[in-house]
Amino acid sequence: MEYVQEVLWILAKIVALILPLFGVVAYLTYAERKVLGWMHHRKGPNRIGFGGLLQPLADAGKMLMKEVMIPAQADKALFVLAPIMAFAPALAAWAVIPFGDGLVVADINVGLLYLLAMTSLGVYGFILAGWSANSKYSMLGAMRTGAQVVSYEIAMGFALVGVLMASGTMNLSDIVRAQEGPFWHWYWLPLFPIFLVYWIAAVAETNRAPFDVAEGESEIVAGYQVEYSGISFGIFFLAEYANMILIGALASVMFFGGWYSPFHGIPVIGPIFDLIPGPIWFIAKIAFFLFLYIWIRATFPRYRYDQIMRLGWKVLIPVTVVWLVVESIFVLTGFGPWF
Amino acid sequence: MLENYLPILVFILFAVGFSIVFLAAGFVLGPQRPNPEKLTPYESGFNAFEDARMKFDVRYYLVAILFIIFDLEVAFLFPWAVVLDEIGGFGIAAMAVFIGILLIGFLYEWKKGALEWE
Amino acid sequence: MQLIIFYVFAAVLLFAGAMVVSSRNPVHAAMFLVLAFFNGAALWLLAEAEFLGVALVLVYVGAVMVLFLFVVMMLDINVSSMRQGFARYLPIGIAVAAVMVLEMILVLGSDQINVVAATAGGETAVGSNIRAIGSVLYTVYLYPFELAAMILLLAIIAAILLTHRRRGGTKHQDPTAQAKVRAEDRVRLVQMQAVQRRQPSNNEAGAKE
Repeated sequence: MEYVQEVLWILAKIVALILPLFGVVAYLTYAERKVLGWMHHRKGPNRIGFGGLLQPLADAGKMLMKEVMIPAQADKALFVLAPIMAFAPALAAWAVIPFGDGLVVADINVGLLYLLAMTSLGVYGFILAGWSANSKYSMLGAMRTGAQVVSYEIAMGFALVGVLMASGTMNLSDIVRAQEGPFWHWYWLPLFPIFLVYWIAAVAETNRAPFDVAEGESEIVAGYQVEYSGISFGIFFLAEYANMILIGALASVMFFGGWYSPFHGIPVIGPIFDLIPGPIWFIAKIAFFLFLYIWIRATFPRYRYDQIMRLGWKVLIPVTVVWLVVESIFVLTGFGPWF
Repeated sequence: MLENYLPILVFILFAVGFSIVFLAAGFVLGPQRPNPEKLTPYESGFNAFEDARMKFDVRYYLVAILFIIFDLEVAFLFPWAVVLDEIGGFGIAAMAVFIGILLIGFLYEWKKGALEWE
Repeated sequence: MQLIIFYVFAAVLLFAGAMVVSSRNPVHAAMFLVLAFFNGAALWLLAEAEFLGVALVLVYVGAVMVLFLFVVMMLDINVSSMRQGFARYLPIGIAVAAVMVLEMILVLGSDQINVVAATAGGETAVGSNIRAIGSVLYTVYLYPFELAAMILLLAIIAAILLTHRRRGGTKHQDPTAQAKVRAEDRVRLVQMQAVQRRQPSNNEAGAKE
């Protein structure tokens, strides 16, 4: 009986996390189109609801009502499985994200490793989708994405090791606690090169512009998604945005002090800013990273595939390795307030 | 320790179940009017002329192998970074040798041009 | 409760393992192997080896199986030709299986491996066994650890030697060559009179000069 109660309590927490997340995903698509619109000097969606505010709901309704096609030559089981494989890890990874002190669904010791494992599962969605559809564009998209995601995962893994060296724990709440203090206590400052590498790798991992050769609408139409329609396409879309928010959350936890306010611990203004609760600071930091995503998309042209691979292997990995060496010297000498 | 993993298990099951429900909703709410032309693979308006599951450049395979090796290296680095304060200079030296050996491999693949995509 | 969870995971693991062997489509088999690894990781977690459990997902599911899928997808899968030699290879297969079983009995039955001691490892360190692993892996077991680096190095070199070859005839760009190009290499300025008879073609104009 008590097990049932416990599971129900956990389910309640999960629903309390997932429902707002869905709202954020929906309105992230709206925000993206609005921000891109402003950056292009146009209006963006403005017809449905006040200032286009109901646009995401209309989009969701439209996708649900469209026919879901399964191509005749496709491997039907895997074709249906692929969106699930893309979406489920993107949701499940949220289990270990701490929104505030103690505000976390699963407080596990290997949280960071679990997150890395879950994000590395996302690649199955792409590969299976591309292969099962039995279309040439899908196949090309799947191969490209597979090799790209896999290459940037190494750089990302090395970057996470840099954070671990500084914090000495894989528990995400403890990583945030290790950064307690004003904004110059956060890890973005001593680990700045690693932070940059992490961010670039994260953009590439989520297949966002300028690394979106997987979709490459001008060359391989939509890559692995080309045969998907209706909600099966919508799920890939949702997974992409859920992953973006996840990456933003992870960046805030590891480099931007999670739920702490930027002036935490400063004599006079610190307590004033601490009046705003931690989760709000955390969400504000995520919002900043999401804006960064859109800003980057509006600014940079798409990379060529060979340039992407070169950047991943020949620039990001050496930079992280060098900075890990520098960091071990920091750790040995106990440098600054961070180590 | 295990009680911390119960939420993870529930969360994963929930995520999978949720995706399935979502997908099923699309099948239920949307129309189902298949016809042979609609179900052919998209190939810019032409009929598909051969199976899409063709042989691929072996380079993708090479990238996957190199990825496994470096992923293992990262997996070795994780516990090392956690206990760094305990094992101190000796641990750093041990890892320096480990990384050094793998760096030889990395330089080798760089010089051999295994990272080139022309 | 814990026992029920264990049996559920173990049952799914066995089912997935059986499906890996019996499913006709290699990609399906690979996906069942992914399922099997997941359940294996869950079993390790039940044995309180949290680092190993999650690392199993990270390394095997996140990396090794991706390679498997790449390979399986890149091969031209022809199921009928794969099934042809079944009877011919059966004796060899059984022989290999018998050797494997024998080896496993030898390993598991020996006094070297003490199962009780292995499962108790979870509680040694405060709250986590990552620290327990880390504190011995890089000090006590330093030699095997560096040996692992050598094996990985060997794998890198072998993979490159086996698969990498320069191929000619690719239409790739060389950005440095493009940047280095000078006007003289591409354009020839031709001095011409301002007023002239109409020339029949450009080629002749060049030749005249």
